[in-house]
Amino acid sequence: MKKRQFGRFGVQKNWTIPYAVFLLVFVITPLILIAIYAFTDADGQFSLANFQKFIHHGETVNTFVYSIGIALITTLVCLIIGYPVAWILSQNIFSSTSVIVMLFILPMWINTLIRTLATVALFDFLQLPLGEGALIFGLVYNFLPFMIYPIYNVLNKTDHSLTEAAQDLGACPLKVFTRVTLPLSMPGVTSGILMVFMPTVSTFAIAELLTLNNIKLLGTTVQENINNGMWNYGAAISLVMLLLIGVSSLFTDDKSGEEGGLL
Amino acid sequence: MKHLFAKLYVWLLLAILYAPILIIIIFSFTEARVLGNWTGFSTKLYQSLFSGGVNNSLFVTLLNTFAIAFIAASASAVLGSLAAIGIFNLRRKTRNTVLFLNNIPILNPEIITGVSLFLLFVSLGISQGFMTVVLAHISFCVPYVVLSVLPRLKQMNPSLYEAALDLGATPMQALRKVIFPEIKPGIISGFILTFTLSFDDFVVSLFTIGNEGLQTLSTYIYADARKGGLTPELRPLTSLIFIVVLVLLFIVNQRAKKSAVHEK
Amino acid sequence: MKNKSFFRFWALAVFVLLGLMSCHFHSDKRLSTLKIYNWGDYIDESVLEDFKVWYKEQTGEDLRIVYQVFDINEIMLTKIARGKEDFDLVCPSDYIIERMMKKDLLLPIERHFGDSTDYTRNIAPYITHELSKLDYQGRKTSDYAVPYMWGTTGILYNRKFVPEGDVRSWACLWNPKYKGKILMKDSYRDVYGTCIIYANRDRLARGEVSVDELMNDYSQATIDTVEVYMKAMKPLLAGWEADFGKEMMTKSKLYLNMTWSGDAEWAIQEAGAIGTELAYAIPEEGSTVWYDCWAIPKYAKNVKAASYFINYMCRPDIAIRNMEEIGYVSAVSSPEIMEYVQDSTLSGFSDVSYFFGEAGKSLKVRHTMYPDKRFIEKCAMERDFGDATEAVLDMWSNVKGDNLNPGILIFIFVCFSALFVLGLYSKYKKRRRQRSIRLLKSRRKRA
Repeated sequence: MKKRQFGRFGVQKNWTIPYAVFLLVFVITPLILIAIYAFTDADGQFSLANFQKFIHHGETVNTFVYSIGIALITTLVCLIIGYPVAWILSQNIFSSTSVIVMLFILPMWINTLIRTLATVALFDFLQLPLGEGALIFGLVYNFLPFMIYPIYNVLNKTDHSLTEAAQDLGACPLKVFTRVTLPLSMPGVTSGILMVFMPTVSTFAIAELLTLNNIKLLGTTVQENINNGMWNYGAAISLVMLLLIGVSSLFTDDKSGEEGGLL
Repeated sequence: MKHLFAKLYVWLLLAILYAPILIIIIFSFTEARVLGNWTGFSTKLYQSLFSGGVNNSLFVTLLNTFAIAFIAASASAVLGSLAAIGIFNLRRKTRNTVLFLNNIPILNPEIITGVSLFLLFVSLGISQGFMTVVLAHISFCVPYVVLSVLPRLKQMNPSLYEAALDLGATPMQALRKVIFPEIKPGIISGFILTFTLSFDDFVVSLFTIGNEGLQTLSTYIYADARKGGLTPELRPLTSLIFIVVLVLLFIVNQRAKKSAVHEK
Repeated sequence: MKNKSFFRFWALAVFVLLGLMSCHFHSDKRLSTLKIYNWGDYIDESVLEDFKVWYKEQTGEDLRIVYQVFDINEIMLTKIARGKEDFDLVCPSDYIIERMMKKDLLLPIERHFGDSTDYTRNIAPYITHELSKLDYQGRKTSDYAVPYMWGTTGILYNRKFVPEGDVRSWACLWNPKYKGKILMKDSYRDVYGTCIIYANRDRLARGEVSVDELMNDYSQATIDTVEVYMKAMKPLLAGWEADFGKEMMTKSKLYLNMTWSGDAEWAIQEAGAIGTELAYAIPEEGSTVWYDCWAIPKYAKNVKAASYFINYMCRPDIAIRNMEEIGYVSAVSSPEIMEYVQDSTLSGFSDVSYFFGEAGKSLKVRHTMYPDKRFIEKCAMERDFGDATEAVLDMWSNVKGDNLNPGILIFIFVCFSALFVLGLYSKYKKRRRQRSIRLLKSRRKRA
């Protein structure tokens, strides 16, 4: 087959233009605006006051570190619970795996708020107190599908003959897992980690509802500041959050490259 | 034996995952104001959900949410499929740049999208309301349409289009008669996907909804939740949404299966 | 041109969409719109509908009402001051009125209602007198604000779990017995007042200082004292509520809630209906009394309708409907109100002469709504913190936002070190593999 040439359809190339303009106005410009607001004061003058406030304001740094901690815990719990599920699902021991997979993904399509309120209802029902524990449960409950799905996807696509070959060559099941399955699934794991870590750092409603306003995450701080009219400070915290997410995605990307390179 | 444990684990997890939703569905069939009290079977909440009257605001909210989701999903479908055809025809380098930009709204945390659009509307001096919510929703919906249409274009047999041209069709005709039918499934699943995304969206809506009294379902629930609980009528609503989503997902899944069979 | 039809399809789709969107754009409607920004759950919403009819009768004009709610005073204020949002009518508390007057953010209220009666004269003289303390540079508070509801800050408690003796003092909020069962109002001013009163309970008892003096002392030393007391209180709290306290208390999930009298009254009524016994108390040490007023912000577009609305709110029958719905106590003190609030089934008499005048010397009224004169004398209005606001807020958010504990810090540290070690390990392995590949290649070459 001859190599496909792009641009064959002629003028239709230009059909990208409306969308490109749209992207420019509604995606690129707003992101630049965050940076602009972050580096100006209320009067529009250039200033670093927002970042100074961030550093000197014990509370925000406290929240920042705390959010990272909570996000790490959530990610780890999701990984520990989710990985076995993804692995089991990829083993095809169920009569209709696709239905089970769908059952795990289904909650992703239901409103986060409704799911969170359902969690509150569950805690209510079981007469458990709300607080840090409830928060972590709620976060895991909300973001677990984001961990299971990518791992399952990768595991499902891997060639079963690889594990079989390892078994045939006499590797014990544990060794097969650590030497073959785990490294193979690493891309799924990293994208799962990202997909859980990012929303956890930036969430706010879940924390509010599950801890009776007792615990703030970084997202709460951003929302509060924007809502209270402190746009510049809110933008600065958003920028810090964006940096954190950028760094963590670079970090995991790098790692997945390396892990992928292991084979 | 080994499988039994594995199965047990999966089922147990599913049970925990669905317990809260099940509780809401079960208690949607009783009248008690406080969730967890069972005061006998009743469909009164379902009736009052649809009767308007007292819950008029909830009904208006639902209509708004549907309108926003419908407009945003339609506009995204149009803009997204146009863009997909355009991107498909771009040269590799430009294509990758556009695709990279296309991924930004997908990768951005919702709160960043929300804050950034809020700042955009504020600095342009646009008063926020229905229009801004729709625009905001389109901005995070289009990328998904692009991503669901592009693979269809890639799968397409390129000679079909050329054959049409050879047989005397104008490029536009060929596009309409050949390309459009090919990418239609992609557009439809993109539409469904973006519709649910827009319908469920909370964070971006919250930041762009303005103060004109407009509410979407999510912001309504949020306001309600901050007051300490779910309005009883939200229980049947949640149950219904859950079932609709279940059905929708099932349809999409069936479509995907069918088309997979079709391709074989 | 056959391909036109294809374009027509797209164009039509786009135009239909644009048309649908523009349906929601009507800027010229603004002048016949009244934008109200009120506390959540703070009005009988059917009154809004009736007002439209009444307004039409009085002025012959149609009116559309946009009704928005807030649950924290400061959010409302920043929306007006920073966002320059064009609400026609807001309902802030006393100290926000004070601040808005100082910052010139309010318009005077017009009291020329044509043929209709001026109902604002029904406002209790007691409240007008109290609010006149806020007069600033010749500006009279009464020209800028009309009182709507008033109340006190106190403790709502569940009688099943909390003995009445415990809530005679603020000490119950620091009592480890109630750990995890206390809900605090998410309002830095009320918490400040409570802490400072409790901290000085002995001096108060000896009569060395008055609640009024204490509450309006924002020196750094006082702020530090409050910080100590807040830190001691925080571990005992279940959470901070802006609006859901009544719901939680009604469900008897929590036992103690520092809250406002009106929320308490609402919760007591609601809980009574499902058999939970709640009660409200103002501790003996004293507390805050506050007044919420209607005011017209600077950026209002429809001052006329706003003024009429304020007037309408002071009509005794409307005031009664609102009281009935929300549980707070109207600032109107006309005989109709006095008639309405008396309840002959109550046992004791209260002295409400401060509010209703001589006729109110001994009435059977709910003490949640109208505290006895004896209690009112120990309460004071908390003025605006002025320049100290920022210092108080810093202290407040520092104490409130401090959730970090060593466990989490250690966890973060462990996570990052694990990632670091993992990274190093994989790099090491990679290098070793590369070396072995090189070795292999060179061996092959030699072979």
